[in-house]
Amino acid sequence: MKRSVITAAALAGLLLSPLAMPSPATAQENAMATTTLKVGDVAPNFTLPSDQGKPVTLADYRGKKNVMLAFYVLAFTSG
Amino acid sequence: MAKLESSNTVVFGISIDSPPANGAFAKQIGVTFPLLSDMNRKVLTAYGILRKYPMGGDEYEWARRTTFVIDKQGKIQHVDFDNSAINPNTAVDVCLDLHKKSAP
Repeated sequence: MKRSVITAAALAGLLLSPLAMPSPATAQENAMATTTLKVGDVAPNFTLPSDQGKPVTLADYRGKKNVMLAFYVLAFTSG
Repeated sequence: MAKLESSNTVVFGISIDSPPANGAFAKQIGVTFPLLSDMNRKVLTAYGILRKYPMGGDEYEWARRTTFVIDKQGKIQHVDFDNSAINPNTAVDVCLDLHKKSAP
């Protein structure tokens, strides 16, 4: 009897544990899942200040140039 | 870069750094294309690549390293994330292909 109670508790623990403690992999996947834009989507327009003086507006290149946007974490780092 | 210019592609770098910081960074690493400042993170949010970085017991939101290729119609044609975004070769090839397709 006692044994079955322990077994039941262990089973419940097993079933609940993924909810209570997400594994590091799951947490990472969640962080990755924030990306909303994919191939085929229209790139949202923006105007941003540039280090070269004039602000840059994405829509200005519509019909004229392909645009490559390279997002980087921080200046002065290799990241 | 020469390959990209010949494929009718412009390149922009984007981070949350200020324009003066980006200007100094550009000088240091010798890039010639403009570096843009998304200081209020609006563009990072719109592109879905704002990421949390833990540091010194606190958390900061900066860009996830990502490369987007956008065609002349304003549509996204290619996306590279994280480590695969370090090497631009695939993205460059996409630009060359786009140029070939649009050439008369």
